[in-house]
Amino acid sequence: MAGEARIGKIAFGGVIALIGVVFVGVLVWTWLARNDLKPGPKAEEPSTPAVIHPVTIRTPAGIPRVATGEVDSQGQPVTIACATCHDTRQPNYETRSGTTLKDFHQGLHFAHGNQSCLSCHNATDYDTLKQADGRPLEFSQTLMLCAQCHGPQFRDYQNGSHGGMQGHWDLTRGGRTRNTCTDCHDPHHPAYPEVMPVFPPKMVRGETITPHGENHP
Amino acid sequence: MNVNDTTANPAEPEPHDARFHATSYMKFLRLAFRLATEGSWIFYLWMIVLTCIALVGTHAWAVQVRDGMAVTAMTDHVSWGLYIANFTFIVGLAAGGVMMVIPAYIYHDRDMHDTVIIGELLAIASIVMCLLFVVVDLGRPDRFWHIMPFVGKFHWPVSMLTWDVIVLNGYLLLNLHICGYLLYKRFLGEAPDRKWYIPFVFLSIAWAISIHTVTAFLYSGLGGRPFWNTALLAPRFLTSAFVAGPAFIIVVLQIIRRITKTKTKIGEGSIRTLAGIMRITILINLLMLVSEIFTSFYTGGAHGVSAKYLYFGHHGHHALMPWIWTSAVFMIIAAVLLLRPRIHEHLWTLDIACVLAFIAIWIEKGMGLIIPGFIPSTLHEWVEYLPSATEWKITAGIWAGGLMVYTLLLKIAIPVFAGTVSSRKP
Amino acid sequence: MSEPSGECGSGCGCKGGGDDKLFSRRNLIKGAGITLGAAAFAKALSPLAHWTREATSVDEFLQKHYRELTKVDLEVVFRRLEREAKQQYGADVTISDHRPQAGVKFGYALNLSICIGCRRCAEACHHENNHDRATSNSYIRVLEMTKGSMDMEKGNVHYDHPVPHPDKFYMPVQCQQCDNPPCVDVCPVEATWKEADGIVVVDYNWCIGCRYCEAACPYHARRFNWTKPVIPKEEINPKQSYLSNRIRPQGVMEKCTFCLHRTREGRMPACLEACPTGARVFGNLLDPDSEIRKVIENKRVFVLKEELGTKPSFFYFFDE
Repeated sequence: MAGEARIGKIAFGGVIALIGVVFVGVLVWTWLARNDLKPGPKAEEPSTPAVIHPVTIRTPAGIPRVATGEVDSQGQPVTIACATCHDTRQPNYETRSGTTLKDFHQGLHFAHGNQSCLSCHNATDYDTLKQADGRPLEFSQTLMLCAQCHGPQFRDYQNGSHGGMQGHWDLTRGGRTRNTCTDCHDPHHPAYPEVMPVFPPKMVRGETITPHGENHP
Repeated sequence: MNVNDTTANPAEPEPHDARFHATSYMKFLRLAFRLATEGSWIFYLWMIVLTCIALVGTHAWAVQVRDGMAVTAMTDHVSWGLYIANFTFIVGLAAGGVMMVIPAYIYHDRDMHDTVIIGELLAIASIVMCLLFVVVDLGRPDRFWHIMPFVGKFHWPVSMLTWDVIVLNGYLLLNLHICGYLLYKRFLGEAPDRKWYIPFVFLSIAWAISIHTVTAFLYSGLGGRPFWNTALLAPRFLTSAFVAGPAFIIVVLQIIRRITKTKTKIGEGSIRTLAGIMRITILINLLMLVSEIFTSFYTGGAHGVSAKYLYFGHHGHHALMPWIWTSAVFMIIAAVLLLRPRIHEHLWTLDIACVLAFIAIWIEKGMGLIIPGFIPSTLHEWVEYLPSATEWKITAGIWAGGLMVYTLLLKIAIPVFAGTVSSRKP
Repeated sequence: MSEPSGECGSGCGCKGGGDDKLFSRRNLIKGAGITLGAAAFAKALSPLAHWTREATSVDEFLQKHYRELTKVDLEVVFRRLEREAKQQYGADVTISDHRPQAGVKFGYALNLSICIGCRRCAEACHHENNHDRATSNSYIRVLEMTKGSMDMEKGNVHYDHPVPHPDKFYMPVQCQQCDNPPCVDVCPVEATWKEADGIVVVDYNWCIGCRYCEAACPYHARRFNWTKPVIPKEEINPKQSYLSNRIRPQGVMEKCTFCLHRTREGRMPACLEACPTGARVFGNLLDPDSEIRKVIENKRVFVLKEELGTKPSFFYFFDE
C-alpha cells in the first residue's frame, strides 16, 4: 500500500513537472512566434521610370462678372464686367459693406475681418486684384492673395495638409488635382458654411438615443 | 473463442491479447448501447422531452445559419451574447467536476472513489456542450476545418482561442480515456492498472485548472475591454467554477439516489465533502467579487463605467440590472444557507443553496460578465443586449443535448460501476 | 457479432427479457424511436440544405488560404467570385489582386481643427466598398465631441443638426491599421493579418466568423456581416479587389483596408477624396518628402488610446 502511494506521488510529481516544462517552453515559443506574422506577398517591382506626374491646382473662374438683376430676351440674366461701371466712378477706400452703396452689391454678405473692398480689389484696374504692396494680381492667382495674410494655412497647403484633393498619393503613378482657396471659402465671407450632415448611422437593435441625440443626455 | 475462459482467473491480471479486447470491447459497447436505450417510463419521457427541446434548438440553428446571425440580438457593438456567456459558464462546470477528483485521488478519500466518475462524466457532457456553443456562435460553421491543426491554419500559440481548442479537446479526450478505461475494466471485472489511469487523473486535475484559466485569458488579455482586463478574472473563474460544479453534482447525486432507489445512501460522504468545498469557495468567490466591485467603483473612470452600468444602469439603460441583482441576492442567500452547521444532513437547505448558487454563477459569468464587457462599446456608444428568441431556443437545445449526453453516460456508468453488470456471470 | 447476444446480457440484471431476439417488440419500438428521432433531426436541419445550395459550393469549401494560393489558383478563385456576383447580384464585376508595393507603408492623418463632421467620408466609404445598403454600413464612425474634452464618453455619433456646431469638434474613427494589432493576434485561423505596407486585411473566404477580433479591437473598426449584404445591381462598385471591397459573404468579418484597391494603385482613399474640407492627409510613411511625414514632423500629432500599445498608423492633430 505504501509502495502504491509512493508510485502515485512520483507519478504526480512527474506529471506536474512535465506540465511545467511544456508550459514554459510554449510560453517562450509564443514570445518568439509573435514577430512571425508573415505578411502577404509583395507586388513585383515595376520597372517604371521615375516620372513625376503634375499636381494641378484648380484655377478660379477668372475675371468675375456682376449680375444686373435684369434678364435678356432668352431669359438669361444679364451680367456686366466690373469695368463697365467702375471705370467712370471714384473709388471709395472706406467702403466695408455692400449696404452702404447706392446701387449694386447691396446684398453682398461680407464678413472677412476688418478689410475694406479695396484692400483686395484693385481700384486702378477692377479686372485684377491688389496685393498688400499695391501690385496687381490676376484673378486666377487668388491663392497668393490669400497667402499674404493666412501664412499658416498657406504653409499647410504647401505641405499637403490643408485643402481637399483628388487623384494620386503616389505622383509616380499619376497626377493630382488640388482645390484652391475659393473652392471652399467664399472670399467675402470665408468661414466654412454650416451644412447638414449626410448619412447618419442606422440605429441598431438595443440602441436608444435621447431627444437631443446625445450619447449622454 | 471463449471469452469466459481467458478471464477465468481474475486474481492475476494477465495481459490480454488484442483479439481478446476486440471481442470483449465490442461486447462492452453493445452492453453500453443496451443500457443507454433501456429504462423506465420516466427515463423515456425525460429523453423525449429533451429530444423535443434539442429539435427546436437544431431547427433554430439551421435557420440562423441560413439567414445569418442577424436573427440573434447581437450587434457590432455587443458582438458576443448568450452563446459565449453559456460557453464560459459551462467550461467552469467542466472544470468544477474535478472537485470530485482531487479529494478522491490526492487525498485518497474513499467515499469519493465511488462517485468520482459522476464528476468526470459531467466534464465530458460539459465539454460537448462547450464545443456546441462555440459552433453555434460561428458565422461560418462550414469552415470549421480551418481551425483544425495541420488541416487548416491553426494560429497557435499566439491566439488564445487556439489554446482553448487544445485544452477543451484535450480535457475531453482525457476524461473519455479515464472514464472509458475504468468502466471497461469494471465491466471485465478486473482491477484497473494504476499506470493506465493514475497519471491521466493527475494530468486531468492540472488540465481542469487550465481549461478555465485559458478561457479567462480569452477575455482578460484584451486591453481594449477594461471590464475584462483584470488579472483577477482567471482566479474568479476558477473559484466560481468550484461553486457551480459541486452544486450541480450534489443535486445529481441525490437524483441518482432517488432513481436507483438504493438505501445504501450512495454518495453520502461525497455530498458532505462537496458541501464543505462549496462553503469555502462561495465565500472566496464573494470576496473576489467585492474586490472587483471596490476597484471599479472607488477608482471610477473608464474601468468603472461597465460595472456601474451593470449594477446601476446608465441614463435609462439598465437591461442588465435585474440579472445581476438576481445573481447577487442568490449568491448571498446561498452563502448564508451553506453556513448552516451539518448542512449535509439538511438536504433541503443544501439543495436550495445549490440551485441558487448555480443560477447565480450562471448569470455572473454570462449576462453579468460577457455582456457588460461590450457596454459601452470601445467608442463609448451605449447599445444594450438582451437575447433573442432564436438565441434562447438554440441555448435551450444545447443544454437539452448536454443533459441527454450526461443522462446516457450515467445510465451506462452507474450499473457498470455498481457491479450489477459485467462480462462475467455472478 | 453472430454469437448469441444473450451471453453478455444474461448476467447483467437488466429487466428487458426480449433481448434474445433481434426483432423483439422492445427492439422494434427502440428502432422506430431512433428512426423517428433521426428523421426529425434531419427535418429540423432542412434550412441548411437551402443554404448549402444557394450560398456555398464545393470549390468554396475547399478553397485554401489566400497566402497559399498560387497566381493560377487565384485566377480561378477570382473568376468564380465574379460568376457568383453575377448570379447573386446580377452585376458584372472584375475582381483583382492588389499587392503591397515595396518601400511603402501607409499612414493616415486627420486634422480635427478642420473636420466639420459632415460624414461625407462615411458615405463615400459606404459606396466605394460595396457595403450593405440595409444597414447603411460604413467603416467610418464620426464622433461629435464636446470641446474641452478628449473623452469619447462625451462623444455622440447620432448627431443630426447643422454642422459644425460651435461647441463641438468632430472625430472620424476608422481602422487605425495598428502595427501591433490585437485583432490579428487573437484570430484563431490567421484569417486576418498585417501586410507589408501596414494594412490589416481579412481573407473573407477563410474567416470562420467567431468575432474574437471584433471583441479585441479597441477602436470599433471591425464589422460583421450579420446577414448577406443587400446592394442594388446598379449601385455596385464593379472595380473590386479580393482583400478589399468585393461583396462580402454572409457570416464573416470585414474592415477598412485604406481602400487598398485604390491606394495600391497609387490613388487616394475614397474617404479622402470625399472630404470637402481637406481634413485628411494620406501617404507613404517611408517617404521623407510625403505629406504624411510633413504632418508628423510639423504638427503635434497623437494617436487614439496610445496607452494600449497598439501603435496605430492613423494620427490625429489640431491646427492651433
